[in-house]
Amino acid sequence: MSREYVEPLYFGTNKKSLFGIYHTPQGGPTRDCGIVLCYPLGNEYINSHRAYRQLAYRLSQVGFPVLRFDFYGCGDSDGDCEQGEMRQWLTDIAAAIREIRGKSGVRQVCLVGLRLGGTLAAMAGAAWGDLDGLVLWDPVINGRTYLEELRALHQERLRIVFRDELQDTLRAERPTEIIGFPLTPSLLTALEHLDLLAMQQKPAQNILVIASHEGACAGQLREHLKSLGARLAYQHLASPQIWRGETYTVLVPHQLLQSVVAWLAEVYS
Amino acid sequence: MREEALLFGKTRSLVGIITDPPEAERGKLLPAIILLNAGIIHHVGPHRLYVKMARNLAALGFVVLRFDLSGFGDSPVRADNLPFEKSAVSETQEAMDVLSAARGTEHFLLSGICLGALISLTTAYCDPRIVGVIPINAPRHKMAYAEDGEVRSYIINYKAVRIYWDYWKTALFNSKVWLKAITGKANYRMMIQWTIMTMALQIRSKATRKQIVSSRAKNAASDLHALTERGVRLLFVYSTRDSDLGLDYFRVVLGNETRTLVTGGKLRVEIIPQADHLFTLLWHQECLLHAMRNWVLSQNW
Repeated sequence: MSREYVEPLYFGTNKKSLFGIYHTPQGGPTRDCGIVLCYPLGNEYINSHRAYRQLAYRLSQVGFPVLRFDFYGCGDSDGDCEQGEMRQWLTDIAAAIREIRGKSGVRQVCLVGLRLGGTLAAMAGAAWGDLDGLVLWDPVINGRTYLEELRALHQERLRIVFRDELQDTLRAERPTEIIGFPLTPSLLTALEHLDLLAMQQKPAQNILVIASHEGACAGQLREHLKSLGARLAYQHLASPQIWRGETYTVLVPHQLLQSVVAWLAEVYS
Repeated sequence: MREEALLFGKTRSLVGIITDPPEAERGKLLPAIILLNAGIIHHVGPHRLYVKMARNLAALGFVVLRFDLSGFGDSPVRADNLPFEKSAVSETQEAMDVLSAARGTEHFLLSGICLGALISLTTAYCDPRIVGVIPINAPRHKMAYAEDGEVRSYIINYKAVRIYWDYWKTALFNSKVWLKAITGKANYRMMIQWTIMTMALQIRSKATRKQIVSSRAKNAASDLHALTERGVRLLFVYSTRDSDLGLDYFRVVLGNETRTLVTGGKLRVEIIPQADHLFTLLWHQECLLHAMRNWVLSQNW
């Protein structure tokens, strides 16, 4: 493994500083495309951190400047967990794009995101209409389905530890926490209204949808993105759903990461 | 409150975040606090708990550093072949060095969950700059993987004995059970089997205790006594639902030997009822933060 050149940094505004790790491009000429990695949220963020670091390293080794960053109220960034909200996170993506452009001088930027990180990246791209590339890794397509999945996982975890002792928490109609992270009423409402199939504009010129499992809405998303005029590539690679795993068994899906790197290297050669 | 990202260590490859107290709380002569990786979870901690800890403790006037050991989280792997037990201690000492240089702190308090607890204790045994340790759900009292299996199986057996024993005692004082026994409605064969099994497990547990626990308990006690004699303050925090059996280890191995430290106020044990290994429920996280805040405030640093 070649040496990693990383720079931990804070960017954004004084009131809302965001934490990021900038990976300096290695291995020959720097590509004119910066990659911004958008993490998923809550427990999925913790579970996917190792895979993100690996992805950033691999991308930097083929000449991409890479910035992976924590959304406001998440990870090392400013703000409490309760303060995170969708609108703010879209603003954070804009700040991260400015940061990588400023640091590396690239003209083109590609966003990569797993689960809700991918969804937020797509929403940001659709809102601005000037994104070059987008990698959606098992994105959240429908907010209600996402919440049901989270809730089921939360209940499963609680049952393992507490068996049937926390009936009130398990039965709560509107959950207030999901696997160690708060779920505020405003975020819950925003997620309930989330629908990636309602996007009116193509989120980027080049899009890779990569799926580790074939969800019910994945086909619909592909059709929708095609109908918006995006150049779409799709890959289905059976691999572990790393975001679901126990925190002590964080997994790195090497084949999937390699596919993301290969696609980006080809599109931005 | 201000947070600063930094690269430090001999090869400037360890990634850490310093949380400084707010302006009004700065300048107090307090030790700096270092939070050590909870297993392979990066420096944000399980459920972002280390960020909450850092900000809570900084609000009280402490400078807090949380960082990733080599190969963990954001820090790249080491290029040498130093065993983890040594590199973890050495990198924790490098973290102390950087805080001394950057903030002028000479004394330190180490804390961490699970693996972080073990590294905290192991480093404290060998570095006089450490004045306090808060091991949280420590599965043992130091990093020593060789003895894992034997003690662990003993503790699992000990837990099973306690469950059988509690069940047996409950049945013994239950009038309904006696009524069934008197009226001939009980399953006598099962009652006798249950009683024999409970007694046999008790005897086996007591017989193996001396062989497995005693020497380890003495070593552990000697390590912890040495720390307290040096003036190091200790707060052991345990969850009752810790799947890693930390509390059971404390009860079985450390319990008797550390009683004098507990009664003498040199070692405090805080038990968080129902909490699991990584404090999944927000209420349990709040209980942990509350216990840490109260303890650091109660000490005369």
